[in-house]
Amino acid sequence: MNTLALIIEDDEDLASIFAEALRGVGFEVEHVADGKIAQERLKNKEAPYLILLDMHLPHVSGADLLMDMKNDERFNDTIIIITTADARMGETYGEKADFVMIKPISFVQLRDLTSRLKPKDAQN
Amino acid sequence: MKVYLEQLLQVPARDPDDARRKRLLNILLLGTLVAALLGLLAIVVDAIQNPQTEFTRETQILLGGIIAVTLGIFAIYQVNRRFSGRLAPLLFLLLLTLLFPFTDSVDQVINGRSLFLFTLPITISSLILIPQASFLFAALSSAIIIGMSLANSVFPNSSAITGFFLLALVSWLSARSLEQALHELRDVNANLDQLVTERTQALAESLERERIEAGRNQAILNSIADGVIVFDRQWNATMANPAVRSMLEIPLELIISKNFRELIEHPRLQPRSRGLLYAMMEHDTQPVGFRIEWSGKTLSVSAAQVYNSRGEDIGTVTVFRDFTREAEVERLKSTFVAIVSHELRTPLNAIMGYAEMFREAVYGPINEKQVNMADRIIKNTQRLLGLINDLLDQAQMEAGKLTIQMAPFKLAELLDNVHGLLDKSASDKGLQLTSEIQDNLPEVLNGDAARLQQILVNLVNNALKFTDKGSVHVRLFYPYEDTWGIEVMDTGHGIPESEMPFIFDTFRQVEGTTTRVHGGFGLGLSIVKQLVSLMNGEIKVRSKLEEGTRFIVTLPLVIPESTKKDWTLS
Repeated sequence: MNTLALIIEDDEDLASIFAEALRGVGFEVEHVADGKIAQERLKNKEAPYLILLDMHLPHVSGADLLMDMKNDERFNDTIIIITTADARMGETYGEKADFVMIKPISFVQLRDLTSRLKPKDAQN
Repeated sequence: MKVYLEQLLQVPARDPDDARRKRLLNILLLGTLVAALLGLLAIVVDAIQNPQTEFTRETQILLGGIIAVTLGIFAIYQVNRRFSGRLAPLLFLLLLTLLFPFTDSVDQVINGRSLFLFTLPITISSLILIPQASFLFAALSSAIIIGMSLANSVFPNSSAITGFFLLALVSWLSARSLEQALHELRDVNANLDQLVTERTQALAESLERERIEAGRNQAILNSIADGVIVFDRQWNATMANPAVRSMLEIPLELIISKNFRELIEHPRLQPRSRGLLYAMMEHDTQPVGFRIEWSGKTLSVSAAQVYNSRGEDIGTVTVFRDFTREAEVERLKSTFVAIVSHELRTPLNAIMGYAEMFREAVYGPINEKQVNMADRIIKNTQRLLGLINDLLDQAQMEAGKLTIQMAPFKLAELLDNVHGLLDKSASDKGLQLTSEIQDNLPEVLNGDAARLQQILVNLVNNALKFTDKGSVHVRLFYPYEDTWGIEVMDTGHGIPESEMPFIFDTFRQVEGTTTRVHGGFGLGLSIVKQLVSLMNGEIKVRSKLEEGTRFIVTLPLVIPESTKKDWTLS
């Protein structure tokens, strides 16, 4: 059962909070802090079940990663959650993602949302 | 010869009539002189042919007459030259009239061939004296004839005398009409002269005005800091001021009489700016203040078409303003806003996240006091985040960067979100937060949901802040066609009348000092007001001290095309 959640976020603290929230509801968590590395990761390794995607990333932007995934069938079933501080950015790319969360993102809010999204038969 | 004759005859005079008369008199004097000389010649020829014969008495008289006439002519000629007025012609005519009786035998003068001689001064007098003078000379001639006739015991020739007066009448009439015609002609000429003078003067004045105007325009153009280039209909530059030269740092020769295309293709112009300038040129638009980049400078370009008095397009005036500093300030401001937005919010987000994890006992159980402390951290962090958002919104609105983006949204969701965000704050204060949607409102509207939510949250937050007991009620309603409204009603302190005009001002709270009690920058209502006007809506406030306050926002009602039909039917 794929319960892998990929957090693409350059801020270590936020990544650690997001990771804790996701682990809390039973996801297996992987974290990438750089756009370029994330691009390689997405290309070469298995598609995660869920992705938390920050739009402001070093080297390769979240928007580019989003485009990559939209053009790759492997990500058809992946749930993509955009996390951004820019509400306008959220509106612009909202249609290409499943959810948009505007920063500041509450730990409880993220935990409650992802709890509803996790695979039905996954262990908590 | 002709010139000499002309000099002899011409008498300079100020009055053209006087000049005409004097010249005519000179011609007559010359004619008379010639006649006298011919008479003299006849006497000389006769004397040569009959050398033995003595001069008859008649010949002697004639010779004396000729000499007298010649002397008289010279005298009158001098008078004519020296004196203005009619003295000379009068003398001449008197000389002629008084001379005639001596030119022939008495019989011939009073009743014969010499009678006709008297017609000469009668006719001439009306021409060279005054028109009426012909009567004077008719009378004089008649008097001479009558006098001579009576002296010789002959009945005066009444037909001749009548003839003199008739001739005088005809001369008078013709001379008078001639003078009148001349006067009229002169009047016309004078009017024409006057007109020409006036027109010339007006023309000179308008030229002078134009020269001054052009000079003034040139001075303005030369002294203003904005660069100006004037183009004709074909976009050839006809004029450019010194400011444009220093702004573009190229000689004016490279601008004036060149086509705009050459300037657009100049290597110093950033390629991206070329498209903008070409678009302006090709579509003849009149843009105001679009930006171009010219070798490190940011220039703002405005253009305006120029029309002549017939409304025809004759070219374009383009104005360049050095916007480098402003652009830099704007860039710094945007950067600052972006930094604040990101760098302040990210750590605050982390603080809040960790506090939540602590509160949620992610790493093990915590006691009640710790829960309370975690709640306070979360609440204060949220407040700080709210303040930062307000400041950013205010900064964006001041920079004119905040725009309204319309999309369909559900009214119910709007209220759900408000409850989700503020129910807790209300219950913490022991207040009730209630809401309703008026039945006849459509479920889905077009609008900027995020900004509408911001308006609602700010108004409700404000109401909660200033209400200590009772409730805050939110109502979405449909007051009249094409309008919908948001009403937020509280049972709070109310706003004093004196503070009403200032409640939407930036950084202001009622009575100023309450900032410390209620917290916040006082930006909330100011942002609401600005957002409402960005949405082409209106905000009103009604308040009664110690009873409560009501904020009423009215907005244009826009129903999405997709749901329009359903709503109209219902």
